[in-house]
Parts: sequence; structure tokens; C-alpha cells
Amino acid sequence: MKINLAKTNYKKLKVVQINGGYNILKKLNSMGIFEGAFIEKITSYHHGPVIVKVMNSQLAIGRGMAEKIIVEEMS
Amino acid sequence: MKIVLVGNPNVGKSVIFSYLTGYTAVSSNYPGTTVDILKGKTKLCDRECEVIDVPGCYSLEGESVAEKVASEIIKSKDYDIIFNVIDSNNLERNLLLTLELIGLGKPIVIISTKTDIARNKGIDIDYNKLSDILDVKIFPVVATAGIGFNVLEKEIYAVFNNLKLPVPKMEVPSDITEKWKIIGEITLKVQKIYHKHPSFLEKLEEITTTPVTAIPFSFVLIVMSFYLIRFIGEGIINYIFDPLFNNYYMPLVERFSSLFNEGFLKNIIFSKNMTPLEGFSILTTGVYVPFVVVLPYVFAFYLILSILEDIGYLPRLAVILDRLSHKIGLHGYGSIPLIMGLGCKVPGIFSLRILESSREKIIAASLLFLISPCMPQSAMIFAILSKYPLIYTVIVFVYIFLVGILASYVLNKILKGSSNDLFIEIPPYHKPVFKNLVFKIRLRITQFLLDAVPFVMGGILIINILDIFSILDLLSKISAPFLSKIFSLPAQTSSIVMLGFLKKDVAITLLTPFNLSLKEIMVSCFFLVTYMPCLASIFVLLKELGKKLTFYVIIFNLLISLVFTFIFSQAIKLFF
Repeated sequence: MKINLAKTNYKKLKVVQINGGYNILKKLNSMGIFEGAFIEKITSYHHGPVIVKVMNSQLAIGRGMAEKIIVEEMS
Repeated sequence: MKIVLVGNPNVGKSVIFSYLTGYTAVSSNYPGTTVDILKGKTKLCDRECEVIDVPGCYSLEGESVAEKVASEIIKSKDYDIIFNVIDSNNLERNLLLTLELIGLGKPIVIISTKTDIARNKGIDIDYNKLSDILDVKIFPVVATAGIGFNVLEKEIYAVFNNLKLPVPKMEVPSDITEKWKIIGEITLKVQKIYHKHPSFLEKLEEITTTPVTAIPFSFVLIVMSFYLIRFIGEGIINYIFDPLFNNYYMPLVERFSSLFNEGFLKNIIFSKNMTPLEGFSILTTGVYVPFVVVLPYVFAFYLILSILEDIGYLPRLAVILDRLSHKIGLHGYGSIPLIMGLGCKVPGIFSLRILESSREKIIAASLLFLISPCMPQSAMIFAILSKYPLIYTVIVFVYIFLVGILASYVLNKILKGSSNDLFIEIPPYHKPVFKNLVFKIRLRITQFLLDAVPFVMGGILIINILDIFSILDLLSKISAPFLSKIFSLPAQTSSIVMLGFLKKDVAITLLTPFNLSLKEIMVSCFFLVTYMPCLASIFVLLKELGKKLTFYVIIFNLLISLVFTFIFSQAIKLFF
């Protein structure tokens, strides 16, 4: 599912796919979001940015970019 | 010996730079404070060293302006040693850049900052082990308190004297996912995180990021900040600066003026009317405006702004404003230049650099000139409308705000393309460091004084000379039909409009001697704030955006201002 649809319960999410072009991929990769990475969703704004925890830092990702990140919940 | 300081944004490079060189660099708790390249010469261990502070970057392959600048310098290899600054709270993320740097094959040492904060959070890093794995020397420090630097200096001394600079021998894969894999393994080996109860600041972080609480919190905080700025500003004026001026300074000026014979020279220095704000004397009005009326507000504004900056609130505000900003063609980070612009346009324009596309820069620059009157202007609007109920001041500011929003909404529709997505790191809250605060406020106030005072005094002198030679009257006659027919303003204000180009806040104050009515004051305040950027900001804008774009921004600005001043003057006629 797209990360904006994931629950905000601090559960581990696995990034399975990034549907972005070269630039977006580079941006996300350099901050630690890559296919196979584990992230947590902290909160999201209505039609606004999604805030995630990557490694030990928090990132705010604009809605358009967030919709390109596909994650799956880890049980 | 050439040293480059390289690290992720917001790890504290500027503080290290200041410490090493003794030069002063502004640091704040949000990414992107340094976009410029700072260079400083210093003597480290009896050796002449040049320290280069490279803009913060997450990776050498980064796409932002700051990252491109940084990677160009780093890849040029025109230096002797890399000081890689890493944030110990974020070891894993920081190590990507470290691996890329190690891959360059240049000598490198690592300075690990904010170790005190990491320890309090329960993060335990085995630096010896990490140093062995990476084959790089690591120095943990608390930069803001200067702890750990003596060890660093001793080490640098040894390194320099050996003349054997440490080149790491580690093999680094080129693929980024492979790098992250190695980093994950390293982090597992050297870092332990103990669970701790969330501290007060961590709870506050949660409250101010979760939308339900964050939005009301930001609203209360902004309203409170404005009240505080007015309270502090007014307090300083009424209880300190105004009494000082009237009781100590004015008698001196009066005694000084009695030494002169009536005549041309006396008129030039003291003008026809010596009362501050009523005449155009460089020694009374020229001192009263910048020091008594404006300086207290500038101080109050920068006090509040610097505290919010150092705590780390601004990126959170950017997140909250993100959706709104998209409607006018910006993303949330675009609000930062606007907030800076409330102090002074010049630093506001400089911070346009944190925006990536020129489309965003144009919109933010236009909005900056329309929506955020700088503190001197605001102070003068407060002052000139202080005789009347507060509601009129509020009306002027709200009108300025609405016009700005409307204008950039239009601009967003006209300009091709769409806004980029917000993508920022949200730093943890930090307790502001008193020393850093004092330093930053002092720096900003000095800049204000150097920039504004000569302009204000010069402007008042020019107006006075124009007045003496009756050129004011002439100008008024020429532009009278225009101003009075279209904006319903008295003819004398034309000279003020001309002066406003030099320094707008002065222009607003100088309306006082003309005895305008309330309506006329409100209309001219709006017009003077919006019609054109002041000279200083035009110069800076030229540097940042180039001739063509600056020209467009100014023309757009003037157009909007003329149209909406006309509407304002008509609306006021209807309602009052």
C-alpha cells in the first residue's frame, strides 16, 4: 500500500517499491529510504505531508512524494 | 594545510567552524542554515590552516542546490584533509556520507557531535570499535559547550607533525543500497539504544507534530509571539529609550543648537521643527526613528525568532503550513524566508536559497515583498497608528496579508509548472544555548544598525534639504493629480513615496508631519509597504535571482500594489 494509507501506530513498515523517477529515488535513497528499508510512520496531515521515522530521525515527506512510496506491514 | 568540514545538514558544523577558526558563523536548529561556503584562516597547532565550511549534505550524489555546491568542492579534492562532522544521535543515517567520503581516498577524521544529547536519549556508541571498523580516527565532542576539543587538538597536532595523514583503507561499494547494508551491519555492532522514558522535550515533539494538537499549538504560539514582540518592544520604548531620549539626549541637542546662528546651516542640521517625528532634523528625528522607535522592536523580534529557531520549531511550522503553501505554489519550507522577512527583507532574500526551483523562488520573493512588512516598517505602522484604536492597525496588516496571498495565488496560476514536494528532516528539540542566542541576536542587531541607520539618517537629511529648497512643494504639485485622484491621498505625500524607495520605514514615519487623516494614513501605509522593495533588498535580489527575474518581481509587485491601493482607498471610503 501507499505509505499515506498505512496506519500510524509506530509499527515497522518495509519499503517494497518506490515509484519515482531518478531524482526522487536519489533524494529518498540518500535519506535512508530504499527498497528493503524499514521505516515507521509517525503521523500524517490531511492532504498534507507524511511524517516518518527513518533510522533515528524524523522526515517530513510531501504528499505527492509520499504516494510514490509503497510499503508493507511487518507482522 | 586546507581542511574541509563536511557533514549532514544540522549536525553542528557551523559551531565547529566557529570553534576552530574563531570566526562567527550563524547556527540554528534546522537544516540548511549554511548554504554559502564559509572560509576561515586559523592557526592550528602552530600551522596556518584554511578551514572551509561546506554546506550540509546527506550524500555526494544529492540534488539540492546546497548538496551540489558541497559535492563539487569535495570531489575537486583540492584540500589536504576532511573533517567529517557526524551527529551521534543519527549515527546510521550520517554514515552514508562518511562511507562516500572514505571512498574518495583522501585523509579523513570524524568529529562526532551532540554526544551529550545522545547519551541522555539512551544512545550508547562504542567509538573505539567504530574507529577500528572504519579505519578512521573519531573524536566525540559537545561542540556547544566546547567539550572534547582539547583531545581533538592534540590529535591534530600529532597528525600534522607526523606528516602522515590518515587515509582509510576500507573498501566501499559504489551501489547505494549496498552501502546501506554495510552501514546497517556496522550500526548493529557499535550502537546500543537503551529504552528511556520520553523527556519533556520528546513529549513536546510529539504534541507539536501530531496534527490534532500541532495546529492549535502553532496558532497559539504565533499569536503569543506577536503579542510578546509588541509587549517587549513597547516596554523598552516607553520605559527605557523614550525617557532616555527626552530627558538626556534632547536637552543636549537643544543646547547644541543654541550655539548656531539662525540661517541655512542651522536649518540643515536642525530643520524648521526640532520636535522628533514632526520635523526633518537629522539629529532629532534621524536619531529617534532608528534607535527609539525601531531598534526595540527589531530586538524583540530577533529575540523571539532566535529562540524558536534554536529550539527547532521552524521545520515543524513548515510541515503545518505545507498544504496551505501548495495552494500558492510553494511547499512548506517556503514559509521560512517569509518569517525571516518579517525581521528584515535582506536575510529573507538570502534564505530563498533553501528553495530549489526558480519558480518557487519567484513566488516566494514576490510574496516576501508583498506579505511581510519588515520589522522597521511594522514598528512605524504601530507607531503612527498608536493614537487610534488597535483595530485599525489590525486592518492594515490583515489587508497586506490577504493581498499577498491573493497575488501569489494568481502567480501560481500564471507560472508554468507545479510546486515541488516538501522533503525535510525534522530535528529533535534542543534547549537553546544562551551563548549562541546572545551571539546570534547581537550579530543580527549589528547588521540592522549598519544597514539601516545610515539610510534613515541620510534619507531624513535629503528630505530636509528638499524641504528647505521648496522642492518638496514642487514634487507635490507634479504628482498631486495622480495621488489625490487615484488614491485620495494629499499631494505632499509624493515626496515620501520617492523617499520610500530608499528606506521605507522612514517614509512611513515621515507621514506624521503632514497631519494626515486616519484613512489617509491607512492607505499610505499599505501603499508604502507594498509598492516597491527598498534599495538594499533590490541589490540582494539582483544577486540571488539575476536581472531579468528581479525586474519581473518588481513590476509584478508595483502592479499589485497600485491596483490594491486603489481598491483599499475606495473600500475605506465606503466603510468609514
